[in-house]
Amino acid sequence: MKLRSENPQRRERIFLLMAILLVVGLPATALGYEYVLRPALDLHRTINIRAAVPEAGGFQPDSIRVAAGETVTLRFRSVDVTHGIAIGPGLGIDLGHVDPGQVKDVTVTFDQAGTYTFYCNSWCSDNHWRMRGVIEAYDPSNPDAPPVSSPDPVIEALIAEGVDIDAITHVDEPDEHSTGPVPSAERGAALITNLDVPEELRITDWRRSHTPEEAAELLALANPGAGPDILADVVAYLWTANTSPAQSAEAEELYDKNCAACHGETGSGDGPAADTSSEKPATFSDPHHMLEMRGDVLYAKIRRGGMGTGMPNFGTLFTPQETWGLVDYLWALAFTETSQWEHLDSSDH
Amino acid sequence: MQIEDRLDLLERYPRLKPMLKSRLFQPVLMLLTLAVFSLAVAAGMFGTPVGSRNFGIIFVWIVWWALLIIILVPVAGRLWCAICPIPAPGEWLQRRGFVRRFMGKPLTLGLRWPRRFKNIWLQNAGFLLIAVFSTVILTRPGVSAWLLLGFVLAAVILSLLFEKRTFCRYVCPVGGFIGLYSMVSPLALRVKDTQVCLDHTTKDCIKGNEFGYGCPWITYPGSLTRNTACGLCTECLKTCPQDNITLYWRPAGEDLFVQKEHRLDEAYKAFIMLACALLYSTVLLGPWGWIKGWANMESLPHWLLYAGGFVAVNVLIVPGLFSLASAASRWLSGDRKSLKALVIDYAYSLIPLGLAAWIAFSLGFVLINGTYAAAVLSDPFGWGWNLFGTASVSWQPIAANILPVLQAGVLTAGLLFALNTAYRIAGQNHSDPRAAFRAVLPIAAFLITMTLGFAGLYMA
Repeated sequence: MKLRSENPQRRERIFLLMAILLVVGLPATALGYEYVLRPALDLHRTINIRAAVPEAGGFQPDSIRVAAGETVTLRFRSVDVTHGIAIGPGLGIDLGHVDPGQVKDVTVTFDQAGTYTFYCNSWCSDNHWRMRGVIEAYDPSNPDAPPVSSPDPVIEALIAEGVDIDAITHVDEPDEHSTGPVPSAERGAALITNLDVPEELRITDWRRSHTPEEAAELLALANPGAGPDILADVVAYLWTANTSPAQSAEAEELYDKNCAACHGETGSGDGPAADTSSEKPATFSDPHHMLEMRGDVLYAKIRRGGMGTGMPNFGTLFTPQETWGLVDYLWALAFTETSQWEHLDSSDH
Repeated sequence: MQIEDRLDLLERYPRLKPMLKSRLFQPVLMLLTLAVFSLAVAAGMFGTPVGSRNFGIIFVWIVWWALLIIILVPVAGRLWCAICPIPAPGEWLQRRGFVRRFMGKPLTLGLRWPRRFKNIWLQNAGFLLIAVFSTVILTRPGVSAWLLLGFVLAAVILSLLFEKRTFCRYVCPVGGFIGLYSMVSPLALRVKDTQVCLDHTTKDCIKGNEFGYGCPWITYPGSLTRNTACGLCTECLKTCPQDNITLYWRPAGEDLFVQKEHRLDEAYKAFIMLACALLYSTVLLGPWGWIKGWANMESLPHWLLYAGGFVAVNVLIVPGLFSLASAASRWLSGDRKSLKALVIDYAYSLIPLGLAAWIAFSLGFVLINGTYAAAVLSDPFGWGWNLFGTASVSWQPIAANILPVLQAGVLTAGLLFALNTAYRIAGQNHSDPRAAFRAVLPIAAFLITMTLGFAGLYMA
């Protein structure tokens, strides 16, 4: 060992060198690697994003500019509680849970210029829904062009029709419908062959712009002998039939991550965060209430948010297709028997 | 001179002596711990603010702490003080060198520490101050890093102003309790023959010579009867021309019975350490989340209430209850000593129990949180590194099912040790064994009650 040198001066110098290397060099190497070498070695530009509850700053940075076509690595670090990180709309990026202190990254190329959102999809605080950031993918040939946003035709049509999208439609107290027969899509599937179903009821766009109650009235006109419970069952079936199991599973996952905290896993409006909303969250598992709802209004509420209700907008997170998938899932919560039993169970409690 | 129940380690293991006499022994170990220390400080300052993923928190407050309180202190007393990185920069500056024996004027004003502070009251106050903020310090890497850096800065400043290791001896809050509990340790540096020291005129162990420095801990080895003021730096081993210094392995806890050295500041240290162990166990391991919230400074009024209660339990309630037990002991045994003297004497029986309580408490969080160390080793700053492939090791409690048994065993051993200590101290005050027995009854009741309190917290 060199330190055994008989020359004390030399030994001191060696020790000093070792002290500098170990005490200063070790942390300096770590910092140098992280802040200089690692970014230089990365194949793509890496953007470090600190993820904290909104009360502690949310995402930092919360606004990122990348050129369309550029490949970037987004590295998320949770600094407080467990967050869920996803990027949308239409990218299908969901990093899952990021636990306190955990680091997760995703390398992504934004092929199209546009505005994307990275957001938390795991309930993390009372202001959870505010935990969002914006990625602006600009056109490299015209980097100063302002982001383009096109109006949503469904929402435009509702406004033109004079529908009050922000009307609070949920009911706190049972009304006269609550005591009527409970519509069941399962029973409706068996009954539909016995009835004469008007053509418009089989058209998706018609169903989306009308309430199940309106459909039941048309169905009653076409089938004067059918009882109201049969009509309700058939309508329930029609409203839940236009989705595949795969779409339904995808919508369920979206619902569980983004909606269930307030609206409850079964749509009963009593999620763990329900109390943080200024208005009681809507109850989707109540079939009587849902008989009066329109699909396009539900769509608009999801995409635009509910003004004055605490319902955040999800239009910057989900594609229109994903949003319709969610609307279909809400019908399933209302009109399939499993969901109804869960609703009744939770009501009992 | 060989006392029967002592094993002379340097005689038994002859290779140990040249190693300890080497001037490299201490600086090399200090350098290694200083390297880890600097990494911990850097991680605290620049790494993730999440404590469980930060090297600065995990390796200081879990790995180091476990090593210190479960192994080093009970087995080797102040051995940590010999390799502690905190005084290293100050000491090296003062000595104008690392390894060599610098014979010139040291870089210090060389002031003497004021007589009124030549005790551990400052260390008691410092420990209490840190303990009040401990929940914050233990969970926030930045705070922890600045505190550690503050220790180093204080040590440097004091070494430039005052002689030798004044910081370690009279100021360091950690050194205070290590000194107290080092009395339990079987390892002891002592002179072989006190007469040799008395006859020796040059006193190289105090003044130093070309082989080493005069005792940095400002202690005269010739009169060492306890471990409290010996930092095991082995300078006296290097300087003693009479070869009269050695390391002994002797029955644990012998230092507790050196009655002439019993002091109020040390008694209070024993109270504070026992009370802190109880309070930490209550706050950190107990089922009362609201206390944890108060301790974690979630709101200032609640924290002030917590801090007030914390200090009151330490300086009033535990000492007060123990004084009542001591008064009962005095009344039962007809002891002629003053109550104050009895409180001081019997407080030394709290030392083994306090140490056992700290070990039991530390086992609780070390075994539960120890797996964080594997992840942090691979990713010390929480930056997403994976140096050794262990970054994704998930949190998993170790031996959780036998933990209460381990804790119960440690507490029982501590209680028996404490009861034996109390009885032997009573025996020093009473020649009549029956009077000693009566004297020890209230103290034993206190010790048993405290043990049951700890057991209740750990077993619940």
